[in-house]
Amino acid sequence: MSRLWAAALAALALALGVLPFAANDYLVATGLSLLMWLALTQSWCVLSKMTGYVSLGHVVFYGMGAYLVVVTWQRWPLALAVPAAGIVAALFAALVGLPVLRVRGPYFVILTFGLAELVRYALVAYEAASGTASRILFGAPDLVVIYFAMYALAVGATVLLALVARSRFGHGLRSLRENEEAAETVGVPVVGYKLAAFVLSAAIPGMVGGVMALRSTYFVVDQVFDPMISVTVIAMALLGGGDGPRGPVLGTLFLFTLSQLLWAHAPLAYMLILGTVLVVFVLVAPNGIVGLFETARERRRLGALAREPV
Amino acid sequence: MTLPLLAVRGVGKRFGGLSALADVSLKVAEGETVGIMGANGAGKTTLFGLIAGNLRPTTGSIDYAGRPITGLSPDRVCRLGIGRTFQIVKPFPALTVLENLRTAAMFGHAALRDVRAADRHGLAILDELGLADVADRSAATLTLSGQKRLEVARAVATGARLVLLDEVMAGLTATEVAAMLETLDRLRSSRRLTLLVIEHVMRALMEFCDRIVVLHHGERIAAGTPAEIGRDPRVLEVYFGA
Repeated sequence: MSRLWAAALAALALALGVLPFAANDYLVATGLSLLMWLALTQSWCVLSKMTGYVSLGHVVFYGMGAYLVVVTWQRWPLALAVPAAGIVAALFAALVGLPVLRVRGPYFVILTFGLAELVRYALVAYEAASGTASRILFGAPDLVVIYFAMYALAVGATVLLALVARSRFGHGLRSLRENEEAAETVGVPVVGYKLAAFVLSAAIPGMVGGVMALRSTYFVVDQVFDPMISVTVIAMALLGGGDGPRGPVLGTLFLFTLSQLLWAHAPLAYMLILGTVLVVFVLVAPNGIVGLFETARERRRLGALAREPV
Repeated sequence: MTLPLLAVRGVGKRFGGLSALADVSLKVAEGETVGIMGANGAGKTTLFGLIAGNLRPTTGSIDYAGRPITGLSPDRVCRLGIGRTFQIVKPFPALTVLENLRTAAMFGHAALRDVRAADRHGLAILDELGLADVADRSAATLTLSGQKRLEVARAVATGARLVLLDEVMAGLTATEVAAMLETLDRLRSSRRLTLLVIEHVMRALMEFCDRIVVLHHGERIAAGTPAEIGRDPRVLEVYFGA
């Protein structure tokens, strides 16, 4: 299973790596979009899957990153602006993390959502007051350059989650997800760990936002803070399941493909079908596609045991 | 007497207007087993919370191995070498039994940063507690007796020298109590543990402890060997109204 998985992942990485040399702009843009969702979902999992603190406001990091790159456009080189977008997002997470991570469960969900909306409307108001409601970006880099920047971010986010999931840090995060009081009683520094996970999960989305901003020749603040981005990331992570990097890959591929097909062939039924798929998954396969694989494997194992002579 | 491993001096804890614990002192020497006795609401679990760092004392101080630990966070107290169990069990339910111990071994006083070393350590402890067969099962699937054993196993897996056992025999059948006592007895000698034990099962306390401290309405009313406690007039009055 894990060898098969490694082979599949390598094949996917290779296919996405050669895509810009073999396909037209439309397909490259589609691939870019897939990579963006993958990078966002993997990053989200570093916080939310590992610690159980479900963030419904991850778009805030994406939006801040995009905004930073746009306001520094043609003043800062991109090689500086994009990493700065990640740093600003991480700093923001570090700043708000301590108070926000004091609350768990639904309170955390609502708080992150509200925080993202707060930043969104604060920036919209600031833009309106300073008289720049929207911007036009001239001279953005070529699509292929943007594509490979995003490719690097998607690979980076996948590697980050893989490393976290295997590390001692990851074991600490899982234990605090299961029971925070017990975790600190066995020596896990829960406050610092939660904050570190929050900061780690914010940096790449900040850079993703910064890179995606380059695709918008016409930039409106409101759009890069769209809550649907947060919701879609959560849907992809839930459909994928598990707490390693496998889930986000499977979930992103599945939901992205599904929405591409539906947009193309049944635009009116899009939301209906998507909603149904989500409900079915939550009811039938709460641990997502990864969970389905594991159940099947467990069933085979038990079947083999049952066939053995006693 | 040499330096005590644990020295609690005049600790008190108020929750708003309610005094849960007042001016309680006790010393535990290395290798000793000390029982904490008292009715419901006497402040036993509060005392554990203060020692383990889950609660911050309103007054008084606590030293462990000669250094002050008053007000330290629970994770730091654990890393210094104090483990505790919870009366209402708090396993990591979705993790396997072995993974429960792995985390404790990696983060506690044992500080076995390598997963394989932590698992070897954990398996040895599971073996001593009779949980080796269920090492790969998720903690949520254990029976109450199993979960109580897991609490003990996880506290020991932190590498603690001092373990606070909070009613690890409550709710068990007589047979299970006897088995647990036997296990704890073996464990304290094999791992050279110092134990502080809260228990309602009297027989367990009397047989198992070197000394007993009795709390009543948040105050220490008696302390001594089990035999002394058994004939202490104040204890008898509180327990039997004689």
